[in-house]
Amino acid sequence: MNKTAIQRFLFFILLVLLQIWLFNNIHLFGVATSFVYLDFTLKLPVKMNRNTALMLSALMGLIIDLFGSTLGLNMSVMVIIGFLRFYLLKLFAPRDVYEDYVPSFKTLGTFMFMRYVGTITLIHVTILHLLESFTLFDPVKLMLRILSSFILTFLLICAIESINIKGFKK
Amino acid sequence: MRNLVNFILKNIYWLLFSFLALFSFYLLIHSNEFQRSKYLSVFQEIAGKVYWVSNSVESYMNLKTINSDLIQRIAVLEQEVKDYKKEVEILSEQVFPMDVHKYEHTYSNPFSFIPAQVVNNQISRMGNNYITLNRGTLAGLKEDMGVLSPNGIVGVVISVSTHFAKVIPILNPNYQPSCKIKGSDYFGTLSWDGKDSRYISLKELPQHADFNIGDTIVTSGFSTIFPEGVLVGTVEDTFKKKGENYNSLKVKLFTNFSALSEVLVVVNALKEEQLNIEKGESDE
Repeated sequence: MNKTAIQRFLFFILLVLLQIWLFNNIHLFGVATSFVYLDFTLKLPVKMNRNTALMLSALMGLIIDLFGSTLGLNMSVMVIIGFLRFYLLKLFAPRDVYEDYVPSFKTLGTFMFMRYVGTITLIHVTILHLLESFTLFDPVKLMLRILSSFILTFLLICAIESINIKGFKK
Repeated sequence: MRNLVNFILKNIYWLLFSFLALFSFYLLIHSNEFQRSKYLSVFQEIAGKVYWVSNSVESYMNLKTINSDLIQRIAVLEQEVKDYKKEVEILSEQVFPMDVHKYEHTYSNPFSFIPAQVVNNQISRMGNNYITLNRGTLAGLKEDMGVLSPNGIVGVVISVSTHFAKVIPILNPNYQPSCKIKGSDYFGTLSWDGKDSRYISLKELPQHADFNIGDTIVTSGFSTIFPEGVLVGTVEDTFKKKGENYNSLKVKLFTNFSALSEVLVVVNALKEEQLNIEKGESDE
């Protein structure tokens, strides 16, 4: 295992702990929930084998599910996100990149990276809430949940990213 | 054959995606059955330990509210004990001198309690809420035991590992116990609509059942899980859907699910005997 793989593994554990200890318990105004574990899939290298990326993404979803309450919910969403990631990266990331090219504010540019994060977050939050509302359907509340969760998750992931940039500059 | 291998290699991304998607949807649809499975109880042990870490920090912050709750509860209980003592004195003068107390203890009141602490509580998510307790089979917990808070009903244990237990609270649409209005024998089912953790609905109450706003709702005692008369909440409002022959009540819960910490697990000593005779088997 090289250094970046270990770093990625630690990042995985950090995101799982943050999600289950902190963000699963925060429900802003009773509607907004944040899903920062999504950041793991966002930060996988562009050149990584797409099958591996899909498996890792699914694994993240499964682990969040095992700690949470609905088995299969986060996993379903993360499988879809892991799958779509490959095609979205074609849209957002440049063609010829070096081996360890990771999407970030610095490499993609602020605007492009925010679009990348925003698109994936919106897809994730929408699918997750649609799946979750199978049991209890309430369209107005559903829209409210999707919108507020999207904004909260988006802001938090951007915040984590800006911490990363400062860390790298040192 | 070569074509098939080529096809698989070419489309492995799609195949992998389809496989994972099908697997996760399968989990999602059958999640309630898996909650009870043995494989999960191993993981539940790990998850319980992880949550125990965060809870040991959290429980300190809740101490103040818990203390004041307990003190209030003690006051109420003391008053009750005094009343009962008086009643016993009066009765013991009337009833013939026989040792009835011991008899009553084992036969008419088969319920005892095991104290436990909540280590993980994810109320307020839409729909599927679960609670984890820090007691498991070692402390004598089993599946289908009731769980109470100092203020009222909480839920039912659905799976246990060695040190932890998973509880399905009344704030989960999959669990609907039967309850009645205190002082009458009309009963209905409790069910949560997923909106507010302070309120619950009592549905399928017969139309002719009398009740007033402010009446107390208690458990019916029809199941072997809870004793009769466990406090649930007070009637806040009533509503009736068109074309339905039943009343529905909006009930304000006594249990504060957002600050749940100390709970009691109900042990019914005569449960198996009752279940056996209901099944039609003899006890021998």
